[in-house]
Amino acid sequence: MLRLIGQRLLAMVPLLLIVSVLTFSFTALLPSDPVDLIIGDRGSEEQYQMIRERLGLNEPFVTRYVTWLGQAVQGDLGTSFFNSVRVTDAVMLRMPATLSLTFASVLISVVVGLGAGVAAALRPRSWIDRLATVGATIGQAVPNFWFGLILASVFAVSLRWFPATGYVRLAEDPAGWLRSITLPALALGLSTSAAIARQVRSAMVGVLQQDYIRAARAQGLPARRVIFRHALKNALVPVVTVLSFQITVLLGGALIVEQVFAINGIGSLAVAAVRQQDIPMIQGIVLVLVLVVMAVQLATDVLYGLINPKARPA
Amino acid sequence: MKLSHVRPSTLAVVIPSVAVLATLLICALFAEWLAPYDPLQQNLMDMLQGPSAEHWLGTDDLGRDVLSRMIHGSRIAVIAAAEATGLAVLIGVPVGLFIGYRGGWWDWVTMRLVEAIVSIPGIMVAIVIIAILGTGLHRAMFALGILYSTAFLRLARSVVLTEREEVYVRSARVIGASPSRILVRHIFLNIAPPLIVQVTLTVGAVLLAEAGLSFIGIGVQPPQASWGTMLNTAAAYMELNAFLAVPPGLAIVATVLSVNLLGDVLRDSIGRGIRLPEATPVHVPASAPARSRSSEPMTPRADDALLVDGLTVTVSPKGGQPVPVVTDMSFRIGRGETLGLVGESGSGKTVTGLALMGLIGAGGRIAGGRVLLDGTDLLSLPASGLEAARGSDIAMVFQDPTTSLNPAFTVGSQIAEVLRVKQGLSRRAARDRTVELIDRVGIPRPAERADAYPHELSGGMAQRIAIARALSCGPKLLIADEPTTALDVTVQQEILDLFRDLQDDFGMAMLFVTHDLAVAADICDRIAVMYCGEIVETASVDRLFSHPRHPYTSGLLSAMPHGASGTPPLPVIPGTVPPPGSWPPGCRFASRCAHADAACAAPVPLTTAEVPGQQVRCVHAAALTLEAAQ
Repeated sequence: MLRLIGQRLLAMVPLLLIVSVLTFSFTALLPSDPVDLIIGDRGSEEQYQMIRERLGLNEPFVTRYVTWLGQAVQGDLGTSFFNSVRVTDAVMLRMPATLSLTFASVLISVVVGLGAGVAAALRPRSWIDRLATVGATIGQAVPNFWFGLILASVFAVSLRWFPATGYVRLAEDPAGWLRSITLPALALGLSTSAAIARQVRSAMVGVLQQDYIRAARAQGLPARRVIFRHALKNALVPVVTVLSFQITVLLGGALIVEQVFAINGIGSLAVAAVRQQDIPMIQGIVLVLVLVVMAVQLATDVLYGLINPKARPA
Repeated sequence: MKLSHVRPSTLAVVIPSVAVLATLLICALFAEWLAPYDPLQQNLMDMLQGPSAEHWLGTDDLGRDVLSRMIHGSRIAVIAAAEATGLAVLIGVPVGLFIGYRGGWWDWVTMRLVEAIVSIPGIMVAIVIIAILGTGLHRAMFALGILYSTAFLRLARSVVLTEREEVYVRSARVIGASPSRILVRHIFLNIAPPLIVQVTLTVGAVLLAEAGLSFIGIGVQPPQASWGTMLNTAAAYMELNAFLAVPPGLAIVATVLSVNLLGDVLRDSIGRGIRLPEATPVHVPASAPARSRSSEPMTPRADDALLVDGLTVTVSPKGGQPVPVVTDMSFRIGRGETLGLVGESGSGKTVTGLALMGLIGAGGRIAGGRVLLDGTDLLSLPASGLEAARGSDIAMVFQDPTTSLNPAFTVGSQIAEVLRVKQGLSRRAARDRTVELIDRVGIPRPAERADAYPHELSGGMAQRIAIARALSCGPKLLIADEPTTALDVTVQQEILDLFRDLQDDFGMAMLFVTHDLAVAADICDRIAVMYCGEIVETASVDRLFSHPRHPYTSGLLSAMPHGASGTPPLPVIPGTVPPPGSWPPGCRFASRCAHADAACAAPVPLTTAEVPGQQVRCVHAAALTLEAAQ
C-alpha cells in the first residue's frame, strides 16, 4: 500500500507543475496593470516604477515564475495586492469552512447514496428504486444554490430550525457547526446522493448475480452478511471511481452554495479577488484547490486499492 | 427514427421536453411583444409584491415585473447556451481532430494541459478566465466555452484515434483510395452522433453554470435580467418575499431537465442505431406435463445420507406460466457413497443440485417432493433452518473456481469466515483450522497461501481452496457441480483424486454432477442418468456400463470416445433435446428413440429392472437388447 501511495504521489508532481505554470501564465494575461490597480490614478511615475520593482514585474516571466514557485513550495503564496494580507493566511482562514461544507456534503451523498442504492438493488422497481432514478435525473437539472435557497427559506426562514446564514467553527461549538452546515450540505449532497445511488444500484445488481455470491450463500452465510460484506465490497469498486470525480464537482459547488448561506469560505474570497483582479490571491486559491483535489484523488486511489486487491501493485 | 417506432414512454418524455424548449425559444425571440412590462422599469411603490392580477409573478426589490424579467431572462439563457456551446465546439473539435491526427508531441502536451484543467473544479476554471476577461454575459460565456471545449476536444480526438486504426487497416486492402480522404469521411460520419449527445449535455451544464456565475455576481451583471441574477436578488430578499426564488429556479430546472431528457432519448436512439423488436415471450403449450410424479414413493432407510423423493422444480419465465424443469426426481445416496448425476447440459442436473441447497434463483420454485438429509426434510425447514444447514450439513463446490471465490477477500479469510460464522470459532482458532484445511487439500506453504487473493492462484489451486471451504464444517453431503470441467485436463485427474482421498477422510456422501460419463465412472459408486429433467436410469457404475437398460444410456455409452484411435466415427444420438416446456406427456426420449412405439405415449414410471439397485424409465426395458460400453 505504501508503494501505491508513493507511485501516486510521484505521478502528481508533473500535473502540479503544469497547473502551476497554467495558473501563473493565465493570471499574467490579466489585461490591467496591477500597479495601476494598487496605486490608482494618483501615483507618480517614480512610485509606479518603485512598486513595479518591488513586485518584481520588471524581471523576465520565467524568473518571476521560478521565484513564485520557489516561495509557493515553502508555503508562501505571496501578498495580496489590496491589503497586506498574506495569501497563505487568507486561504487557510477561509479553507476550513469550504472543506467542512464539501466533506459534509460528501458524507451525505455517500451515506444516502449507498443506502438507497443497496435498497434499490435488492428491490428493483420498488418505490426507492424509482425515487433514486427520478432523483438522479432531477438532481442533475437543479442548481445546487437554488435548492439551497429553497431549503433556507423553508427550514431557516419559515420554520427557524436552522440558522439561515453564517458559519460556526467546529472547534468553537460542534453543535453550532453542525446546525450551520446542515442545510448547505444537504443542498449540495442530496442531488449527488441520487447519482451515487444509481451507480451503487447498477454495480450491486451486477455483483449479486456473480457466482461467488451464490457460493457464499451455499456456505450458509446469512443473507445480510453476504449482501453487506461480500457483495457491497465488490460493488464499491466502480463507485469509488465516480466518487473521486463527484468530490471535485462538490468542491466547485461549495464555492457557490456557501454564498447562499453567507459562509465566508473560498468562494467569496475568489469572487472578491476576481473583482479586484488580485493576482496573487487568485493564483494562491487555484493552487490550493488543486492540492485539495489531488489529496482527494490520492485518498480515493488508496481506498480503491484497499477494496480492490487487483489494483495493488504486485 | 420514425415516430411509429417510438415507445409511448419515450413520447411521454419527448413531448413535454420539446414543449418547454419551444416555449423558451418563443419567449427569447419575441420577448418585447410577450412581456407585459419593460423588464427594467422600476416602480418603488410596488416593491417585493407577491403574485397579483397586474403582476402575475409579483415584483422584485425595485418593483420590476418578475414575469417580464423571466421572459427577457429566457433570451439570455438561449444566448448563453448558444454562445458557450458553440465556442466549445469550435475550439474543441478542430483542436481534438488536429492532435488526434497529428499525434506525438502536440498530442502529449495538449492532453497534459487538458488533464490539468480538468483536475480543477470547473467553476474555479471559469472564475479564473473571467478574472482575465472581465465580467458580463459574453465574457462569462467565453470562459465557459473554453472550459467545456475540453470535453469536445477529447471526444474528437478519440474518434480520430479509433477511425485511424480502422481506416488504415482497410485501405491497406483496398489500394487506390488515399487514406486521408477516407479518414475525413469516416470521421465525419462517426463524430456526428456523439457530438450531438455531447452538445445536449453541454447546453444543460452551461445553463447551470451561467446561473451560478450570475448568482455570485461575476456573470451577467445587473440590471440585465437573467435567471441567475434574479436568484441573486431573491437570495438577498429571502425573508421579505420567498416567492421571488421560485420562478427563475423552476425555469432553470425545467429547461435543463428538458435538454437532458432529450439528450438521453437521442443517445438511446443514436447509440442503438436500429431499435430491436421486443422479444416475444415463448408461449408454453398447455400440454406441458402436469404430472409431478409417476413413480412409487421412496421409503427412507437407516443408511441413507440423502433421500430425494419426487422432487419437482418449475421456473417461471418473465410474465409466463411456470415451466417444469425437473420432475419426479427420486434417488438416494448412502453414507460415504458417491452418486454421479450425469446428463447433457440443460437436462436439469445443476438445477437439481441447487434445489437441494434451496438456492434456485429468482423465478425458480420447488413445486413438490421431499429432500431428506439424515432424516430431516430440508424443504420443510424455514429459511433460517435451511441457512443453518447449508455449509454445516450440506455444502457445494461449483464449476468455475475463479468465479466462485470472492475476488475482494483473501482465500484464507473466506474459509475462516465460514468457520467463525458457522462454528463460532475464535479468530485465532479459525485461522489455525484454515491453514490446516489448506494444507489438507494439498496446497504447499498453506499459511502463506491463505493470504493470497483468488486472482493470484491458478484454477486448480483455487478449486482446492473452494473444496477446503466446502468441507470446512464437515458436511454430511457434498454436492460437486462439474468441479473439474473448467480446469486443465492435467489438473482434472488431480482434483478427482483429491475428492476420493477427502471422502475417505471426511466420510461425507457426494452428489457428483457431470456431463462426462468417464469422469463419473472414475469417481462414483453409482450413476443416475438424467434426460429432460428426469432420471431415466440408475445403476451401479459396473452394471450401467455393462448392462444399460435405457436406450438413452446406451446411446451415451456408444458416444463415449475409446482410446485415441477415433475410428470408427462415434455414433451420435439423432435429433435434439426438447427444451423445457415442450416435453411430451409420455416418454421424453421417444422422439429420438429407435425403439419408440405407441406404448411410449403414456407417462413412464421409474421401475426396478431385473437387478436390484438398477432402475429404468422405459416401458420396453425388459425386451430390448442394447449396446453396452466396449
